[in-house]
Amino acid sequence: MGALAAAIAVGLGALGAGVGNGLIVSKTVEGIARQPELKGQLQTTMFIGVGLVEAVPIIGVVIALMVM
Amino acid sequence: MGYNMCNYVFSEIMGEERTMSEYENMIRRQRKWMFCLLAIMVLGAGFTPYTRIFLGLLLGSTVSFYNLYLLQKKIVNFTDAVAKEEKSKGLGTLSRFAGAALAIIIALRFEEEINIIAVIIGLMTSYMVIMIDFALFRDKD
Repeated sequence: MGALAAAIAVGLGALGAGVGNGLIVSKTVEGIARQPELKGQLQTTMFIGVGLVEAVPIIGVVIALMVM
Repeated sequence: MGYNMCNYVFSEIMGEERTMSEYENMIRRQRKWMFCLLAIMVLGAGFTPYTRIFLGLLLGSTVSFYNLYLLQKKIVNFTDAVAKEEKSKGLGTLSRFAGAALAIIIALRFEEEINIIAVIIGLMTSYMVIMIDFALFRDKD
């Protein structure tokens, strides 16, 4: 049961993060392709977005390892 | 000479390099925050009776700092590649997960010396730094 719980924790966390990261990256690429002069600003926004999105699956990995 | 030196040191501490881009300024500020926190944790591990907790915080924060560095570097590489219309590599998500997993495995292996809850709190340090830095400097940049 521990392995199953770990798999669910990591899997669902990574699923959510994947969708979130995909949205952030696609919008950033679109923005840079339209206006390359805004690269610095978009970099900052992307950095904060990706950083905050990835906090949840990292906690998921930690919980999974502790459960196992 | 003395005034110039003070001014230079102050601008170094506050990250006030106007010639640098907004992103580079943010990176420098976050690096300074992380180094300060790591220094405090080293002092705590060395000079307080709560060695186990501070060692856990130190391990978690070190991995968190590595994750932060990796994220900063990968985002620069990614956006540069997009701007130059070159083929871009990934964002290094798997490396960051692996880093966190490594920290937890080390903490589980040396359970007598390292507090695992402190490691988890330490892993979240960089996210706290990102959020606080964003909240403080949102209007200034």
